This record gives sequence, structure tokens and C-alpha cells, in this order.
Amino acid sequence: MTNTLHRKGSTEDLKGDYVIFTSIAKDYKPGTAPKIHEFLKICNKYGPINIGSSKLGSVLQNDVEFNDLITHLKDGSTSGAVFTDVETLQKVIADLIEADLGISINVSGLLEGVHECCGKNGITRHSVEQSLGFWGAKDRLPERDVLEINTLCGHGLVSFNFIHKMMDEVRMRKCTPKEAAKILGKCCECAVFNTSRAEKLLEKVLEQ
Amino acid sequence: MEIDKEKCVGCGNCHAICPMGAISLDVDGKSVVNQDECVECSTCYRVLRDERYPPLFIRFIRSILGALNLQFMAVPDVCPTGALTPPDLEYPRSLRAAFSDPTVVHAGTGVGGRGTEEIKTNDVTGRLLDGDAGIVIELGRPGTGAHFRDVEKIATALIPLDPHFEEFNPVTQLMEDPKTGKIKPEVIDEKVLSAIIEVKTTLEKIPDYLAVLENIQSELDTVFSVGVASKCLPDGSVPHQKWVEDAGYTLSPNGKTNLGLGRPLFKEVS
Repeated sequence: MTNTLHRKGSTEDLKGDYVIFTSIAKDYKPGTAPKIHEFLKICNKYGPINIGSSKLGSVLQNDVEFNDLITHLKDGSTSGAVFTDVETLQKVIADLIEADLGISINVSGLLEGVHECCGKNGITRHSVEQSLGFWGAKDRLPERDVLEINTLCGHGLVSFNFIHKMMDEVRMRKCTPKEAAKILGKCCECAVFNTSRAEKLLEKVLEQ
Repeated sequence: MEIDKEKCVGCGNCHAICPMGAISLDVDGKSVVNQDECVECSTCYRVLRDERYPPLFIRFIRSILGALNLQFMAVPDVCPTGALTPPDLEYPRSLRAAFSDPTVVHAGTGVGGRGTEEIKTNDVTGRLLDGDAGIVIELGRPGTGAHFRDVEKIATALIPLDPHFEEFNPVTQLMEDPKTGKIKPEVIDEKVLSAIIEVKTTLEKIPDYLAVLENIQSELDTVFSVGVASKCLPDGSVPHQKWVEDAGYTLSPNGKTNLGLGRPLFKEVS
């Protein structure tokens, strides 16, 4: 989930994009499955738009159910969920502090929003990583809307071509923006794809 | 990835879904994978649901539709006949999957994805301490992919700064010698979805690293994403921000925050 770091979007759009995830240090993995299990249950209680685990996939994918996810979790699995507002994120963090799971938990999103969440919950953030954007052969990159959807997957698995194809499907009324967003989200193995933001970007196609 | 020509009906769904654009229609009307460009991410195989139709049935339907001047269009997230076939990969090609398929764990670091923990576990590992800065340079992302020769180009350019390449990073483990930044010759032509060079340095050296990246970027035929990280001060402020902004660069308003909930919390010895 390294590159939830490079999610593109205006500050206004990013207000609806918070990814919370676990990361277990290499030497601390044994015995962590029940803690990750609890983490996912807490997240799920607050209705995330996406949730899953990097080895098992996301609930957007075919044949992946939340109950299967928590049944098959293994020690050290990186797991995460996506929320669309900072108020809900704050409640999730409050529950996680109370659960005292003892595993590393990170949030990708607007730093000020997350910083405020920490303050309101009586904790101080430990470390921060920020993006300096894209460098090099930038002429090989597509238009901004496509880039915004592509960067919603931490590993860049939602291809530029597939985004263009689904934009065409929406334009031709073969599917709705919501359906297209869900199909695109299937490519993201780590459950960090924000279908709500993708849907808004795909809706723009209908306005053009 | 390979495509079973006996099964493929040339619907083209795998062409669009491939993050590298490595699949196209062959002269025989069936899909083919450009093995030089394929990074073995297996996205096509995972996402396109196998509908398990017999190829003859699909070809029959298509010929009927064709006679009526209609086109056969499979829904976008299926492979009608299950023609995609993941091969057994041998080294060094297996590195492609390790760096490109998030379900594969890097053998050298025990970490999936890009194979590195960065600040995500900094609360328990103390990887970055007070005064340290982490710089991550991810080549090939977004969407272009990268060869290890591109990785070497940047790694060697950083050498005059005497970089400390993170040991528990799979790119560092592919270097012949981290003192030179040279990549092992047998992997230099392998292509991956992306690969991260990770350096631990001090806050005051951030501008020097950015200056090197600024100069080298025009020599690359791929894109790279740059990230900077540090451990927060006791009041929660972010020490790297001043150094980056003073060097004339703009940081993203969003980013990654380690909440500090891991235990045992790493204690720095003063």
C-alpha cells in the first residue's frame, strides 16, 4: 500500500478519501491474525466503501465476502478500509485506540484531517510521509481524470487503457458510473480503491 | 502471462486491462502477450472471471452474430473461455512477479507489494529516528513500468551523496554493491510494474537528493514518483516539510500518517 501516498486530486476531492490500514513489522508477525481480524471488524462497523486484505482481495472482487476475509486472514496480512469522511475516520480511530491492538496502523489522506483526528482522540501522530509528485517522462502520462482514477489503486493495477474503456462504456450508456467504478475497483488487490471518487470522476464523462 | 491459443476467442478484454498494454490481437485473430513488456502482475488473470464457455460455442455465436451484422461483445470483466494461463516463472523473470503482483511476497524482505515497510511500521522498528529523513523513489509508477536499468541510472546518480540504501528493501538486495548502486547484470533488462529505491538520510541532505533527481529526470524514458518521510516532533509537527519547501518544492496536502499505535513502541536512546 506504499502508493496510497501518491493519490491525486484537489483538496476538496481528497476530503472524501481516507484509507486506514495495518502494517505489521517483519519480526512482529506471529500471532497477529486475531488483531488484524479485530481491526477489520472495527472498520466494517462504520460502513467503509471498500475493505479487504492484500492476500485475499477486496469485497469489490468476485466471490470475496467480508466473512470469508476474516476467516482466512493470516498473521501479518496487510489489511485496509476506505472511508469517505473524516468524522467517520475519527470514530474508527477512537475504537482502535480503545481496542489497543498493538499493531502499526496508518492512514492515507489529507494530513491536516488525520492530524486533527489524532488530536481529538488524544494521540500524537508518529511519522508522516508525503508525495513530491511525478517526475521524469511525464509526457507518457494520460489526462488528469485518468491519472486520478489510476492512483486510487496503491499498486497502479487499474490500467490507463481500462479506465478509458470504462469511460467509453459510461459514455455509451452501457453501464452507469457506479457500475463502472466497481468494475475498475476489482483490479485493486489491496482494497484501497475509492469507488466513490471514481464514480464522481466517471460522472464527468456524461457531462462532456 | 500466457494465452492458450486453443481457447482464446479474441474478445480483447485482456488488452485493455493489462497495466502495461502488453496484450494485443495477433494475425490469427487471437490475443498474444508481448513477453518483453509483460511484468507478470497477473491482473488479467485475477480480474477477468473465467466464464468457462467452450471456445467452439463462442465462435459459433460470433459467426451467427456476424452474419446478422452484429458484433460479439463480452462484458468487460470476463475471459469467456479461461484462456489466460499463468506460467511457472524462473529467476530472473520471477522478479517481475515479485515486484508487480501484490499477492507475491518478496523472498528477501518477507514483505508483499513493493516489498518495503518504509514508515508504515516506524513506530515499532525505529527505522527513521529524530533528525532522519526517508526518501522513496518509485520508478515506473504511475502506469509506465520500469526496467532495472532505469533503477540503476538513478541509484548510481545518487552515489556522490553517499546514500544509505535501506537494507530491507528488495531493490537494495538486487544491487551488486550498495556502495556503487550497480544492479546485478542478470536482472538489468527485467521489466517491473514499479520498483522503489529507498534511502535513509538526514533532514538537511533532502535538498541535495532532490537536486540530483531534478538533474537525472530528463535522462529517463519512464516516470517516477518521489516521497519524503520523517518522524514527527513531540508536538506532532513534520520536520521534513521545512527542508523540502525551503528547497523550492511543493509537498502534497495528503500523505501517509503512522498513528503510533504499534507496540512495543520503539524507544530512541538519547
